[in-house]
Amino acid sequence: MTKSIDKILEKTEKGILLDLENSFSNTKHTLDDSTPKLEQEYDKIISDSKKEAVKIEKQIIGSSDLEARNSQLLLLEKSIDQVFTTALDKISNVERNADYANLIKNLLDESTKILGTTKVIISTNSKDKDLVQSALSKYPDAELSSEPITCIGGIVVKSKDGAMKFDNTLDARIQRLKPLIRKEIATKFGVGN
Amino acid sequence: MTAEGGVQYSKIAEIKGPLVVVDDVENAAFDELVEIETKEGERRLGKVLEVGNGKAIVQVFEGTTGLSISGTSAKFVGKLMEMPVSKEVLGRVFDGLGRPKDGLPDPIADKFIDINGEPMNPEQREYPKDFIQTGVSVIDGMITLVRGQKLPIFSGSGMSHNILAAQIARQASVVGTKDDFAVVFAAIGVQYSEAEYFRRSLEESGALKRSVLFLNTADDPAIERIITPRVALTVAEYLAFDLGMHVLVILTDMTNYAEALREISAAREEVPGRKGYPGYLYTDLSTIYERAGKLNGRKGSVTQVPILSMPSDDITHPIPDLTGYITEGQVVLGRDLFRQGVYPPINILMSLSRLMKDGIGEGSTRVDHGEVSNQVYDAYSRAQEVRALAGIVGKAGLTEIDLKYMDVGDIFEKEFLSQATDENRTIEETLTLLWKIVSKLPKNEITKIKDKYIDQYYQEN
Repeated sequence: MTKSIDKILEKTEKGILLDLENSFSNTKHTLDDSTPKLEQEYDKIISDSKKEAVKIEKQIIGSSDLEARNSQLLLLEKSIDQVFTTALDKISNVERNADYANLIKNLLDESTKILGTTKVIISTNSKDKDLVQSALSKYPDAELSSEPITCIGGIVVKSKDGAMKFDNTLDARIQRLKPLIRKEIATKFGVGN
Repeated sequence: MTAEGGVQYSKIAEIKGPLVVVDDVENAAFDELVEIETKEGERRLGKVLEVGNGKAIVQVFEGTTGLSISGTSAKFVGKLMEMPVSKEVLGRVFDGLGRPKDGLPDPIADKFIDINGEPMNPEQREYPKDFIQTGVSVIDGMITLVRGQKLPIFSGSGMSHNILAAQIARQASVVGTKDDFAVVFAAIGVQYSEAEYFRRSLEESGALKRSVLFLNTADDPAIERIITPRVALTVAEYLAFDLGMHVLVILTDMTNYAEALREISAAREEVPGRKGYPGYLYTDLSTIYERAGKLNGRKGSVTQVPILSMPSDDITHPIPDLTGYITEGQVVLGRDLFRQGVYPPINILMSLSRLMKDGIGEGSTRVDHGEVSNQVYDAYSRAQEVRALAGIVGKAGLTEIDLKYMDVGDIFEKEFLSQATDENRTIEETLTLLWKIVSKLPKNEITKIKDKYIDQYYQEN
């Protein structure tokens, strides 16, 4: 009776041990199999994180570089505006001497040539009125408008039929050259070429 | 540039659509810039389309709404329309006429360049052969873009072409060189939300720093759209050929450009061609597309990706049809793929990059690139045939190899074609994915790849 019980116990023990061994081996196998998968997954996570880090770095550097550059542009523009204001102020108060009278004559010649007629009405500001009036002696068909215009200097020439107008004020000339003048000023500030 | 200005004429004979006819004009020149001034002192820009018999026909870019014959004057400026350019344009946002739209001042110009550009001397053109990585697998792997190429994207209304355009703009780069790379992005007649999306997308990714944006929104006058691609290309040419950068120009949506051209043509009472577009549509489009390329002895390049939405998805419509004659291939977006939720919904069987063979392989991407790409193309084509057959006889009627091809089709669409909008894949990752697809086929089905590459890259299942 005892022998039989021992035999059964021994058999059961062997069975359990075998099952345990199998389970251990299966578990080890599963673990071994999953290691490369885990390593792959690990590598993927690391590579994705690196990509994300590079992306974020680009974002941060890109936006801060731009922000700095834009502040510099605004500052530069403010300085350019200041230079312009001072220059325009100086030009508007320039002495109406012989040189200036020559300038007015040249502007008048240029304007009538471009319009292709001397039958014109000329407008100017109150400061240049006398100079323009004296320059008109060369153009008997031309007349000076009694209404002064607002400008720092120069003339606006209109054909008498009203079909054509040529703005030859200093303001308009400066405005046309403004992009080049801005570049010159910026260069003096050490920006650009 | 001179201090001398132009004459202002106040005899307006007629205002017709976007055109203003000015009377008693002398010395006006074809294409000359014109400043239109309204009674209230508002200024609009235009250009001379025709001169003769004392009349000048002026096309007003900002539209003629609110203009009246009396009180309007036209000043002929005495120069062509020019774009101020310098390196400082990078990181800037402009409107469709090249005026700042980002609250910053005009760029300090290094040069003023005529926006019509100078035609490239064919003798001086260099054959494009260097790879541009877009980070979009299907383009890099199978419809490769090459520096100096013009490769349009044919899309349809409502499809994801704008998302794709923004993704390319954010991710594109040149590999294997330290040369500078820039993106010039011209949005032509897009919705305000789309324009904002482009701007935000580039700003947030940090890509705005190396980009220039030109935004012409749908509510801007249609005529401005004639100018937008030209100012964008002028900047691109400067960056490429003066500063030696590799520039990718994305123009979206060229259909809106062609519509604006049609509007002007109708107003000029020209004899209409197909679908009302002018007979010179082909010539006009070529003046834009042919501004892409590389020049001998110059470092930079201009690559173009024009995007056009085909009305009713009709690829025979005059715009895609004529575009296809000029460009070097096409990327076609498929409505079926779009409906299935695939992004980017590129139909590779209808797409082609004619210069791909010269931009891939040893020294640029990888030696096996061409062969693996051909094999996948062939396999996907077969998968489509098998899918059609399965629709008739059912899956049960298919052979084992047919089923393998069906799997290949599924994997192609799910793992290779599909990509997140912020996913930037390197060319190595793209090629690995191509080999993953090829490896689903039994080796005896692989007929387009040399054995040595199969031995090296085939992944045993």
